[in-house]
Amino acid sequence: MSVKKKFKGLSDKAVAWLFIGPSVFLLLAINIYPLIYAIRMSFTNFYANKIGREPQFVGLKNYIKVLNKEAIWEKMQVTANFMFWTLLLQAVIGLGLALLLNRKFKGNELLTTLIVLPMMLSPAVVGVFWTYLYNPQVGLFNYVINFFYDFGSFDMIGSSELAPWSIVIVDTWMWTPFTMLICLAGLRSVPNYLYEAAEVDRASKWQQFIYITLPSVLPFLLLALLFRGIENFKMFDMVVELTSGGPGSATELASINLKREAFEKWKTGYSSAFAVILFVTIFGFGNVYVKVMNKIKER
Amino acid sequence: MILLFVSLFSFSVNSNAKSITLGWAAWDPANALQELTKEFTAETGIDVNFEFVPWPNFADRMLNELNNKGKTFDLLIGDSQWIGAGAVYGHYVKLNDFFDKEGISMNDFSPATVYAYSTWPKGSENYYALPAMGDALAWAYRKDWFDRPELKSEFKKKHGYDLGVPASWDQLYDMCTFFQGREIDGQKRYGAAINTERGSEGITMGVTAAMYAWGMEYENPNKPYDMEGYFNSPQAVEAVEFYRKLYEDCAPPGHSDAYMVANLDAYKSGQVAFQMNWYAFWPGVSKEDSDGRVSGFFANPKQNVAAATLGGQGISVVKYSDKQDLALEYIKWFARPDVQQKWWDLGGYSCHNDVLNSPSFPTSTVYAQGFLDSMGIVKDFWQEPTFVELMLPMQEAIHDYVVNGKGTAKGALDKIIEEWVEVFEADGKL
Repeated sequence: MSVKKKFKGLSDKAVAWLFIGPSVFLLLAINIYPLIYAIRMSFTNFYANKIGREPQFVGLKNYIKVLNKEAIWEKMQVTANFMFWTLLLQAVIGLGLALLLNRKFKGNELLTTLIVLPMMLSPAVVGVFWTYLYNPQVGLFNYVINFFYDFGSFDMIGSSELAPWSIVIVDTWMWTPFTMLICLAGLRSVPNYLYEAAEVDRASKWQQFIYITLPSVLPFLLLALLFRGIENFKMFDMVVELTSGGPGSATELASINLKREAFEKWKTGYSSAFAVILFVTIFGFGNVYVKVMNKIKER
Repeated sequence: MILLFVSLFSFSVNSNAKSITLGWAAWDPANALQELTKEFTAETGIDVNFEFVPWPNFADRMLNELNNKGKTFDLLIGDSQWIGAGAVYGHYVKLNDFFDKEGISMNDFSPATVYAYSTWPKGSENYYALPAMGDALAWAYRKDWFDRPELKSEFKKKHGYDLGVPASWDQLYDMCTFFQGREIDGQKRYGAAINTERGSEGITMGVTAAMYAWGMEYENPNKPYDMEGYFNSPQAVEAVEFYRKLYEDCAPPGHSDAYMVANLDAYKSGQVAFQMNWYAFWPGVSKEDSDGRVSGFFANPKQNVAAATLGGQGISVVKYSDKQDLALEYIKWFARPDVQQKWWDLGGYSCHNDVLNSPSFPTSTVYAQGFLDSMGIVKDFWQEPTFVELMLPMQEAIHDYVVNGKGTAKGALDKIIEEWVEVFEADGKL
């Protein structure tokens, strides 16, 4: 009644705009305008640090330059490797943990809380303390590995073979709980009568997993992987703190390279083109992925 | 109620007081400057607020501030390589008229520091900073280990010369490998903590210490920006290969992304016989070794030529400051010979001739003579307005070769030249 009084004289449409107006304004100001501005800049030779130098229109030159640069493809490959392994490991381990925690046992709640702790930490902090854990002289990681098998002294961050794995391990450690939580929500939404019916039909545990559990949890798992995929495509802080993109450029992800081009070399036009390419890539992949996910859900 | 009133009143008094803000890196000399500045405040009534930014973020933070025409800082002690950008993009106030008016002469400061920290174009009489903190890359070594008779005789037997301050990079390598993996007092020790940092400027500053000593030039002295055959000369290639050998054979495990603090930590914790670092850190190292028994210091060793990597900074007035007059007053005070002497006494590195030429200076600290020697042979990275664009490809290519072990030294230097040509072309220099 009081709401009606307050908005007396305003049409439903006006009230609707009143509510969504601030969000639309913020969206336009913070997302859409910078996006359009970046697209515009990507066709210029603009350098943000060269004060007084007017940007000139250069057509598609920046895009051609980005796409023809071998180093960019190397960074994309590093990013693709990082995404592939982190998503794979997080899917497998996350689902495994969710299956474990879906069972009722003593200490279940405590274990769940402990497992989700890493994802509550700041990525930058995680990056810093894993540099200590990976330290070949005093790091716990090397100690634990050598406890099981004596590999001798090895440098996870300083070796080009091991450094890509070092970031995969940390990201998996940090974000598997996220995949696990989403999968756990999926598992808990499966009605018990399906398993009861399967038991009556004398289905084995494996058959129950393949024909009931997996199809039920798959849309949830795919959703979790979509979120993680988007996040890892733009991964920055943890890797910068852990390896700075090194050794050399062994762990320099596309987002780190973009930051260096944009805010250290100040190649604003060039880096805008690179950003647009990255945006289109993730947007395209995201759309295809969502369509596939919807089809799986419909089945 | 009365207390509240008093505190509100005192706040309003403070907020009306004259104050300026000085930005610098967060390190030992900054603390010394803070201490020194108390006298400025006592003399003038001008409060000086300090904002010290950790080294890994220093350039990012300050250059972003300048590019955004920020008013946070009235005074900035910026790296030597920034002087080009500070002058060309108009971030720094040109100080010539002020110096003339106040009778501050650049002839009173060490010529190498005036050239490096104050002038743009290089060597001209356009001054954008007052030399504030002289610095160069140098070495500290574990004198207490070097003085052990059993180690001395073992080394002499093995290499045929005395274990001591290395006269060349080859000798440095011999000594580093001598200590690498050696057990001393029940602990495993290593050769040298050298610069390998990837993110900002660390490995470039380290590798150039070797490249300069091998005689590398950035460009053809008769044809500016012509780098082919100079920056990638056989000597330069040899120096980079040597640096990789030094890293592989002499660095402690896990020293793959190390710069100032990591080198200092490795040294202080007794892991290494040598550390490469800036003179700025020697007062701190020396302070913990009051009888001079543990640590010794020496300038960058020569190989083909005597040379050292320049560090250090000049102090500039930020063009966007609303308090330029107060900032200039600080510079006037800081340029005074008596203040410069106190600056050195507190652990800062004065560039004033009165301090450096004083007969007591070389013996005033254990590292003073080394500092004098170094400042006579310093060489700096490009000081172009585009120095960051020039630094980043070098960081990546050198780290890729030295730490990652990828490719060849010649390939790395060729790649850097390729990127630099692109930068100079975009800047209209080529």
